[in-house]
Amino acid sequence: MTRTADLQADIGEVLLSEEAIAARVAELGRQIAADYAGRNLTLVSVLKGSLPFMADLMRQIPLPLRIDLMEVSSYGGTATESSGLVRIMKDLSASIADEDVLLVEDIIDTGLTLNYLVRYLRGKSPASLRICTLLDKPARRLVDIPVDYQGFEIPDQFVVGYGLDYGERYRNLRFVGVLRPEVYSAGE
Amino acid sequence: MHALLPGTPRPAFAHASEAELARILDFYQVRWTYEPDTFPIGWSMQGEVVESFSPDFYLPDLDLYVELTTLRQKLVRKKNRKLRRLRELYPDVRIKLFYARDFRQLLLKFGRLALADELSGTTGQATPPRPADLIVHEAGANAGAAAAAVIKTATVPVAGVPVAGVPVAGDGHAVVDPGHRRSRRRRRVAQTSPAGEPQQHAR
Repeated sequence: MTRTADLQADIGEVLLSEEAIAARVAELGRQIAADYAGRNLTLVSVLKGSLPFMADLMRQIPLPLRIDLMEVSSYGGTATESSGLVRIMKDLSASIADEDVLLVEDIIDTGLTLNYLVRYLRGKSPASLRICTLLDKPARRLVDIPVDYQGFEIPDQFVVGYGLDYGERYRNLRFVGVLRPEVYSAGE
Repeated sequence: MHALLPGTPRPAFAHASEAELARILDFYQVRWTYEPDTFPIGWSMQGEVVESFSPDFYLPDLDLYVELTTLRQKLVRKKNRKLRRLRELYPDVRIKLFYARDFRQLLLKFGRLALADELSGTTGQATPPRPADLIVHEAGANAGAAAAAVIKTATVPVAGVPVAGVPVAGDGHAVVDPGHRRSRRRRRVAQTSPAGEPQQHAR
């Protein structure tokens, strides 16, 4: 059975420590609380990667808020072969009409998923829609969408941990690290 | 509405990486056209276009050109030079260059690292056949002819070409005064994404 310690052996470098992440999440929480005071805030988390970030962030926002979860298929998964199109695998559980929505993402890379989600959510008539991401990796950005709250801008490296995965593993690491190339080179 | 409209011909991509990027864009419902525009970037003293650049993709909703390169370093340098030239001459043109490493990382992100290895360099020249691409092979000849026509028309003199007395670079290409903007000659070819013309795209 693979344990967390074994997973850590696959990490070449710790990019963001648990402490650094916690401190930044707390800062973001304060910012968001100040900006959304008195408003109907709904946090929408995009599964699965943003789960830890969402859980920590919402507890740093001392406001009456709602949360909701969505999941979108990713290119390269089973959805690619079956339909060839991105699709909503888990939709919102409640209406966001007239709500102030904050979309919570784990990482923005090409912006393709975010672009799709923003278009989709705008169609549901929120009062406002803003973006919060833990990690921003602009090197391969295709779609420029303004990000309102950014945790960290990171270099062009393949990162895992704190919700981010490779092959559905490493999500439960408490830090964000760079996967050793040998791990994904040998994995195919 | 599906991005893939029945019967819409797909272009014959020059490289398998281009075909893969097209599939990715289709998946995320981002419209694209393949090599729709050719930008003259070098002229002879006689005003003939001697060098041009045709970015691989244009994403109309994003007003962004995308160029892929999975070539050898020497050829990457050449492409970088052409890209710099394009940006000098057409500063309003937004273009993104995906290097081999970038594209490999993208495929890794999508869990398709094995494909990334197949797409490197010359081994990636042939587009792997897939059922959804069958229509590509049927339209391939037409798409190739259309592309050739674009390049051919780019050899006619361009309005505002340098006249005698304009400095010429050592390689014989006219040196363009940075203040002298070339009008962009757009050649729209029928190599569009299955999402079709702008008015057909449903959101």
